[in-house]
Amino acid sequence: MVVISCALLIWKIVYKPMNKLPYFVRRLLFGTALVLGVTFISFLLMVHFGPDKTYELIGKNPTEQQIAEVRHALGYDRSFLLRYGSYLRELVTLDFGLSDSSGEKVSSMLARSLPISLLLVVPGFVLGNGLGLILGMLAVWYRGRWLDRLVTGASVAGMSVSFLIIIIGLQVLLCTPHGLNLFPVRGWQVDGLASYLFYVTVPTLALVLVTLGYNTRYYRAIIADESEREHIHALKAYGATPYELMLKHVLKNSLVPILTRLMFSVPLVLISGSLLLESYFGIPGIGQVTFDAITSGDQPVLKAVIGLTGVLFALALTVNDFLYKVVDPRVARS
Amino acid sequence: MNTAVLEVRDLNLSIDSSNGPHQLLDGVSFSINAGETTGLVGESGCGKSMTALAILGVLPATGMTIRSAGIMLNGEDLTALNHAQRRRVLGQDISMVFQQPATALDPVFTLGQQIAATVHRHGISGRKACRQTMLESLELVGFSQPEKIAAAYPHELSGGMRQLSMIAMATVCKPAVLIADEPTTALDVSTQLMILQQLKRLQTEYKTAILLISHDLNIIRQCCHTVLVMYCGRLLESTDPESLFSHPRHPYSAGLLGCIPKLSATRPPPINAIAGQVPALTDLPPGCHFAPRCDRAIAQCRHTAPEPESDNGRTVACFRPMP
Amino acid sequence: MESVWQRLRSDGYGMLGFYIIAVFALAALLVWSGLLGQSWAVVSGGRWESISSTHWFGTNLLGQDILQRTLFSSATAFEVGLSVTILSTLLGTVLGALAGWFRSSWLDELILWVKGVLDSIPFYLFAAAIAFALQGNRWAMHLAMVITFWTTTARIIRGEVIRLKQREFVEAARAIGLPPRTIIFRHVLPNTSHIVLVQATIVFVAAIKTEVILSFLGLGIQNGVSWGLMLAESSQEVLAGHFGNFAAASIALFLLLVGFNLLADSLQDAMDKRRSVS
Repeated sequence: MVVISCALLIWKIVYKPMNKLPYFVRRLLFGTALVLGVTFISFLLMVHFGPDKTYELIGKNPTEQQIAEVRHALGYDRSFLLRYGSYLRELVTLDFGLSDSSGEKVSSMLARSLPISLLLVVPGFVLGNGLGLILGMLAVWYRGRWLDRLVTGASVAGMSVSFLIIIIGLQVLLCTPHGLNLFPVRGWQVDGLASYLFYVTVPTLALVLVTLGYNTRYYRAIIADESEREHIHALKAYGATPYELMLKHVLKNSLVPILTRLMFSVPLVLISGSLLLESYFGIPGIGQVTFDAITSGDQPVLKAVIGLTGVLFALALTVNDFLYKVVDPRVARS
Repeated sequence: MNTAVLEVRDLNLSIDSSNGPHQLLDGVSFSINAGETTGLVGESGCGKSMTALAILGVLPATGMTIRSAGIMLNGEDLTALNHAQRRRVLGQDISMVFQQPATALDPVFTLGQQIAATVHRHGISGRKACRQTMLESLELVGFSQPEKIAAAYPHELSGGMRQLSMIAMATVCKPAVLIADEPTTALDVSTQLMILQQLKRLQTEYKTAILLISHDLNIIRQCCHTVLVMYCGRLLESTDPESLFSHPRHPYSAGLLGCIPKLSATRPPPINAIAGQVPALTDLPPGCHFAPRCDRAIAQCRHTAPEPESDNGRTVACFRPMP
Repeated sequence: MESVWQRLRSDGYGMLGFYIIAVFALAALLVWSGLLGQSWAVVSGGRWESISSTHWFGTNLLGQDILQRTLFSSATAFEVGLSVTILSTLLGTVLGALAGWFRSSWLDELILWVKGVLDSIPFYLFAAAIAFALQGNRWAMHLAMVITFWTTTARIIRGEVIRLKQREFVEAARAIGLPPRTIIFRHVLPNTSHIVLVQATIVFVAAIKTEVILSFLGLGIQNGVSWGLMLAESSQEVLAGHFGNFAAASIALFLLLVGFNLLADSLQDAMDKRRSVS
């Protein structure tokens, strides 16, 4: 309660003068506030309310002094704010200490696994959004006709299948003797394009299938809205061709919502998508690292991943506002 | 005697709904002459804008059906054209100015880009030539710094400037017919006058025939050579403005004119609003649609729709026209 | 509301969705009242028995009847779906309405900030963190979903309230001096009920889908069984060629989700039509 009312007070004091600042400074401040919020909440949940590791680290029948020593080593004897401060310092310096379970440096674990995750999810991300946009445009182009119904129906079906079902199903169909048995069940021994395709195909298919329904639906709605706008009808009266309308006017007007979706799904796909894919297909990316950390309660790793993705998301949010200015003249010059 | 440049023959427009089709336009026939302005008046929702869009064949919603005995533009039947042929005509031989320039212009392209695209679409190739034509059209509607306007996005201009740019876009290919759908309704009075003057100037320059859609009778009276009165998708009367205003023959026209407040009157005039309400399109009365609100209606009016009858250059669709 | 129901009645797909949901809801009710699926935890046969008259869908690794577990899981799905949907919708509606009404005030910015913060934390990690913080409480999963799912509802309601605030009836209510509380809760929010309804069905779908993933990660249902747990179980079984668990859980899950998605679509259509008329 005290914390909340203090926050409110600070907000009010800071807020009033903030209104006078230029737009981009305010957005930056909002971005900073977001990062502070994300780190604060994750710290509160994982460190303050998180499990007490004292008794896991000491032997039986510990003395008072042993307990105090371990608690000091873990930093439990310091005040809340000091510990939050050191967490922020960890975030800035990217030095999160050692993993509880493997003893490896958290930062080097992340540096090793992040590129693998990017390699894993980028093809699926690009294909899922590209195909979704194309299907959405096709559905609007053939609006009310059978192709539109097929696309809409298929996307409802796609939205109704769980990611887990898709992964298990594809694995059985493509990777086991019960199906085609073309791809590996697990693993990631990539040393060239051929082996990359060998390992990346099934996860990519899974990622495309799970996102395509939602993407198609979203892009169809955006494109349909934009092609209903009055200026599109007006342009028809000046003899504009349907291709010109769709590929030039509708698409450029849809750019802001499309970019927004792309920006916001990057952290989501990178963490949540790779979490399941990697733990299921045994791929040593950031998702696997996170999955192991969740199941074993490896705090330093979790802290690092949450903090960093939070920062990434807040960045996406802020960058997105600036992107609006680049692509939308209505925002750019007002 | 002027020649008819646009002739609309028996234009019908219906829209499907869950309880059957509804008639939006019913047997609309008229013609407009080169270099003249024809006014189309009526209350909002009577089908004025739909007439314009149906002539162009650009309908805003699915489920609409156009039937007609021909829409002749310079002797060529627009309804017989395929999509590609029609697009060649639209914007070049016949064009349109919309009511809301704020929403009818694409917000993410500059006006220069949009006008130049219209030029390019209709056969002028080369960036420079397109740009030159575009700047000329902006200059012609009265902009002294066309480059500045060309580089602006629609939201950066005032309502009047936007409308002038849209007129430039509509007339850049020097169309034979220009449809202006309430071009001044969204603007303040002083800007209205400027827009109307520019339309007038373009008309004398290009011999353009203008179909001016408006609910503002004063504008119609000032600008038009012929006036068409529309009610519930039908044309009730067509004549020159002088005879219409001095001497309306259709009871609806008379009622419509009675709604103009006269500032010159020494005493406040009696309010001559037409009794009753405009019927819903879903629930049009049989016979003459105006009959339920008409104090001259007879039994015949309530079950048979009167055919338009011409007499001395004046067409009235009424069984009991005013004397 | 009545008009929405009438429109739904005339939409074949929407009614199909409604009937699918009704069948599952009936199963859930029967489970809750102790008439169905009670022996989900009983070992009643050998491991991985195939389909027979006693075990319609076969048995799992431990010899438990898969049909019983599938039926019981529909109750789990509704327990998760309903609790998360109701709470997050309430929270999202109230906060969204406040943010929209007091647009650009410090309250709005504060709510947007909280929303931004919650949206910025990767959900599965957030669920893990909540699970740690609550030290394995069985409601940790529900709580995590409620805390994160309200933000979408709030964003939509905020936009709608901003739109409604400019309408005449709201201006009239303000002009006669009604307090904001009365206007928001008596006049504005009732007008958002259709949007809330559509959004609630979407949240329901999200809750059930999320339960599957969380159960697979070991952060989900704890004492009971769910389609997610069955799928997690099946992930090892399918490699050995036993598809009973996988087929039963994925078909049931798919059907219920299709039901909700069809209903959401149909409601959305009905709402769009209503809006275009008004």
